[in-house]
Amino acid sequence: MSAFIQSNKAAAEGPSLIGRRRLLPRLRSHGGALWRRWRYPFTRRTPLLIETAYNPKTLAAEKEIVDKRPLYWIAGLLVLLVVPPVFGDNSFLSAATVFAIYAAINIVWMLMIGTAGIFSLATLAVVGAAAYTVSYISIHTGLPWWGMIAVSPLVGLLFGVLIAIPAIRLEGFYYALLTVGIADLCREFVLQTQALGAASYGLYGADTYVPKGISERGGLLLSFYAAFVVMLAALALYRMVNGQRLGLLLRTAPEGQEAFAAALGINYRAARIQVFLISSAALGAIGGFYATYFKGASPALFTMDSLLLLLAMIVIGGIGTAEGAVVGTLIVVLFDRVFIGLGPVRLIIIAMIMFGTVLFLRRGLFGIAPQFRAWRDKRRSERRALRTGEGDDIMPEDATQIADKQAIYTQRFDKQLREELKKLVTDELIAEHRRTDGGRRSDALERILTFFRRAEVAGKYAILAEKPFAAYRIVALSGKRGMPPRLVDDQVFATQEEAQHGVFLKRIRDLLDS
Amino acid sequence: MAKIRISAYTDKISVKAGDTLSVMASAEGTDSVHAALVRLIHGDEHPDGPGFIEEKVASPVERDWPVRKQYVQKGNFLRVADPKGQLAVAGAVTLHAYIFPTMPNDGRQAILGRWSVDGTRGCALGIGASGRLEFWVGDGTAADSVTAEVPLIARVWYFVAASFDPATRTATIYQEPVINRYNSLLSKIVPYDYRSHVSQVLRVRPAHGPDTPFLIGGASDHNPSRGGFVSALYSGKIDRCGVQAAVLDRAALDAIRNGVRPPEAGFLAYWDTTEGYTDRGIGDEVRDTGPHALHAVGINRPVRCQTGWNWAGRNDCFRLAPKEFGGIEFHNDALTDCHWQPTLTLDIPADLKSGVYAVKLTAGDGQSAAEEYTTFFVRAATPRAPICLLMPTASYLAYANFQGAFDGAFLQSITAVTPVFAEVDIEVYKNDVEFGLSTYDTHNDGSGVCHSSYHRPLFNMRPKYRFTGVGGVWQFPADLSIVAWLEHMKYDYEILTDEDLHRDGVAALKPYSMVLNATHCEYYSEPMMDATEDYLAGGGRLLYLSGNGYYWVVGFRPDEPWVMEVRKLEAGSRAWQARAGEHYLASTGERSGLWRHRNRAPQKLVGTGFSSEGMDGSVPYRRMPDGYHRSVSWIFAGVEGEVFGDFGLAGGGAAGIEIDRYDLAQGTPPHARILASSEPFTDNYPLVQEDIMFMTPGLGGTQHPWVRADMTYFTTPEHGAVFSASSIAWGSALPCHKFDNSVSRIMKNVVDAFLKPGLLPGSEFDAK
Ligand SMILES: [Fe+2]
Repeated sequence: MSAFIQSNKAAAEGPSLIGRRRLLPRLRSHGGALWRRWRYPFTRRTPLLIETAYNPKTLAAEKEIVDKRPLYWIAGLLVLLVVPPVFGDNSFLSAATVFAIYAAINIVWMLMIGTAGIFSLATLAVVGAAAYTVSYISIHTGLPWWGMIAVSPLVGLLFGVLIAIPAIRLEGFYYALLTVGIADLCREFVLQTQALGAASYGLYGADTYVPKGISERGGLLLSFYAAFVVMLAALALYRMVNGQRLGLLLRTAPEGQEAFAAALGINYRAARIQVFLISSAALGAIGGFYATYFKGASPALFTMDSLLLLLAMIVIGGIGTAEGAVVGTLIVVLFDRVFIGLGPVRLIIIAMIMFGTVLFLRRGLFGIAPQFRAWRDKRRSERRALRTGEGDDIMPEDATQIADKQAIYTQRFDKQLREELKKLVTDELIAEHRRTDGGRRSDALERILTFFRRAEVAGKYAILAEKPFAAYRIVALSGKRGMPPRLVDDQVFATQEEAQHGVFLKRIRDLLDS
Repeated sequence: MAKIRISAYTDKISVKAGDTLSVMASAEGTDSVHAALVRLIHGDEHPDGPGFIEEKVASPVERDWPVRKQYVQKGNFLRVADPKGQLAVAGAVTLHAYIFPTMPNDGRQAILGRWSVDGTRGCALGIGASGRLEFWVGDGTAADSVTAEVPLIARVWYFVAASFDPATRTATIYQEPVINRYNSLLSKIVPYDYRSHVSQVLRVRPAHGPDTPFLIGGASDHNPSRGGFVSALYSGKIDRCGVQAAVLDRAALDAIRNGVRPPEAGFLAYWDTTEGYTDRGIGDEVRDTGPHALHAVGINRPVRCQTGWNWAGRNDCFRLAPKEFGGIEFHNDALTDCHWQPTLTLDIPADLKSGVYAVKLTAGDGQSAAEEYTTFFVRAATPRAPICLLMPTASYLAYANFQGAFDGAFLQSITAVTPVFAEVDIEVYKNDVEFGLSTYDTHNDGSGVCHSSYHRPLFNMRPKYRFTGVGGVWQFPADLSIVAWLEHMKYDYEILTDEDLHRDGVAALKPYSMVLNATHCEYYSEPMMDATEDYLAGGGRLLYLSGNGYYWVVGFRPDEPWVMEVRKLEAGSRAWQARAGEHYLASTGERSGLWRHRNRAPQKLVGTGFSSEGMDGSVPYRRMPDGYHRSVSWIFAGVEGEVFGDFGLAGGGAAGIEIDRYDLAQGTPPHARILASSEPFTDNYPLVQEDIMFMTPGLGGTQHPWVRADMTYFTTPEHGAVFSASSIAWGSALPCHKFDNSVSRIMKNVVDAFLKPGLLPGSEFDAK
């Protein structure tokens, strides 16, 4: 509604000024200088997708980085790497470490949900199972921390195999429910099993990568950097799986089109399971790291509130992108761990952000940009439709898109001419057209016909002789070679003259409707 | 049952007894067609006329013949003869060319190289999908490329090159503009930076297939049903280009860009597109002035004599400065020869009467029945008849396979009627205009079509064909109304074509007492003009039954008479206009455009010349006072009243469609009489452009006195004479009322008079 009001106002005041000020620096082309294009070794990929094109307003050759995401990633990761150690106190630093571990978990989880399309909620359960298992082994056999990390992916993989089996039969909601059940089962199991630290609410005493005798700050710093590396590893895995063959395979067969994919010879189900198992092993590894960081494992990993927090992270960031997983995690961890002074209110804030995201955004925070663009385009076309109704003139913002500016004038001219010609249309004039085929016509009729005849080709009416001297139909031309004219309606005329008049009537109707 | 389509053409358009004619057919939906030889009498199926008339002639071709689908290679390119594979460079290589792309954003286009599209093999310089210059390298399994930084701008001259160094696998692209004040669409005031130099290490080295041809303007391709063909067709001009078996550095390429001959080190080939010009034009061969003389030959008649990268604007013809006319123009939809295999051959028997014939091909029955007529003309081996009907085959070619009713925005404004299509028109248009275009169309890049050929199926040569633009018959099918009249009146006549007139000159006309030309003889070569003039000066008698005749200057190359060339210049009723400096025919070296602008207006030959055209309706003639003079009144014997010819299959009148008028200023013989003139036309008949010096209102038929058809008569030396009807609609009025009408009567009076040698009737009334 607001769009309508605004546009009416604009119409009343005349067009408003348009044109944007340059915000980013102008990057000129290499011109006459040699541009040595470097590629990543063993690939065809060049660093940053640079495209040079002529700016239509100045004709200057300007370089543009088509995909700026690598730059944003580097900047974002640098901030994450530098801010906590430099500016954060100890609690901030440990919150940052937790963030990095959770971000890693979410990135891998994104592979399961986004890429493989398997809605498992047993993510933390896999992490927990691996953490418990390696902790147990470490406590009982003295397995060192690096051994724990080495073993953990196997545990993750085994656990993954177990929960992958039902995924073959169960779909969607039921599968999600089942995985919640599995997580809860795990929680009950560790809470009731003495050997897994039922009494101490957690199994502790495993080896850690933090050397003995290091200062508290030093230990925290080391842990943070280690967690950061884990997050980077998760990102690398995401890129490898999602960006390479498996991801491509799954993207060609999006959900609901499995049959189509199968017809193309794509083994969609195998690819999904493969991604799921890779992700499970990765979650196991993160679990191993978790155990070496916390020197053990806690039943909290299996609780519903942990799961909900994790879900909040994913929902806020938006499903389907690694950046969504990282930023969603960042927001939730900030409220949960850093703004701890807010008390329980912070949980409500997290919930509200989550509800807001679900209600207003289609694909989380990282869906905002495309969603905004879609909304803007829709609004533009609504305004355009409104303007067309008002008077066919081209909007200033649309004019910038038209390469041949003469078309803008022609449209305005034709509109005025149509208004003039409309006044000439009478029943008598239509009858005259019928009567005077092949003969002299009144000036008024000739004026109208002259206008009709010079119309542009696309959509122009013509006649199809289905049976010469017996059956004629009206068609509309495409104006594009290779694209045949289309039949306009099912009227059939016995003679060419009747068809000519039929075309005239159609054109008169179009004129009066304009 | 699959839909059956038959398309066919003949290798010759005019034959005589003893000749052998080949019919090339392609068919879909059937593997056999039935052939029959038919004599064509009348084409127009208009219910007011006699309808379609053909007569079957017994012939050995009358049987079933096996057919298959034959493919069409469209597009211009140059094929380099390289039998020793000297251009399959394994080591360092540089490809260079001057280019003037006209559709850089039309997908991948090969400029030059030895590149196999289907085998991803070899290397070539081309334009990529992004509209940027690219250098492609392929080893048979993988391809790689380097792309220029900035996109190419259309209709601007560039010098481009790419080199490849196998030692480092480095490919380098070189792109520099060579714009001067005259040669490009844009001038130097436009702030584009056209330059680009990019180098990149590629992942593959080129490996050349043994059979891949070196092409300029296209790349070799293959598919299982079609076999080998050429794709990645380029649109635009290419000037001098070459191959060097070395990596040429920037300085060396700068030198070539400035017109210096490539350096000797590694010199492999240099196609100097300006070599081979004569005063009479140039052929399809493009000469390599390098050490191996690897000459190239143009396919589908690339347009030569075009301005080159160094055209300085002072000289408007290659004859004055050949080195400035190195441009060869390529179009991805050009077609001058389908090169199909013959389906059947026909030996023209000695007793076959001169006339209009066709091999009629049919297949299927009922709903799926399909037919095709391959029209050809049989002339007399030894002329015997007194009457010659001259079929304007050059003008048929001009209009061949016209597509303007589909995509010419101008068309409905000219014709003033809504176009009418038949199923065949739509079929052809849907198949991407598979059999090429007419000289009234533009190529995909917007440039005008200057070549037309009969070595391709021509649906406007089918006897029943109705011209889309006007929804009526046009040219060949309309000319059959004159054939039918001659048959009906039982006159003894023989057929000649423009091709015979062009080749044999006045000797072709000399044996005849009179010549009738058909409804629209618009396109004339110089030998055809000369022959007509000499015939009339030597006592020949002519019935000019056309409108808008003797109008465009066209050329034929003696080795390929099936291809006609025309350049539409700054004036005339023209569907397109040649670029500055490109006004001369490559076929003959002559200036093209209108004969009027070479001081040979049609009035000088036949008394009248183009005055107007319109297709909304035709009108009758009204006898003029001079028509009552006893020296000419015999022409109207048996015609009652002042107004005559208010009927016809073309617009309901004998005067109309395209019309000509008497004009002393254009050289109408001073003693010519206007026997009758047309009644007024509508404003959809505007005055011709070449008569308009200043733009004023009131140029339409209801207001301007020059918009009219003049029926004229005058005598020429040695008892010669010219009767001019000056209207396309004239011929289509003849069959009305079972050939018993005023137009037919006038024709009969004139023909009967012209049959008698010596003094013409009325000549006794020549007292001052
Ligand atoms: Fe014409």
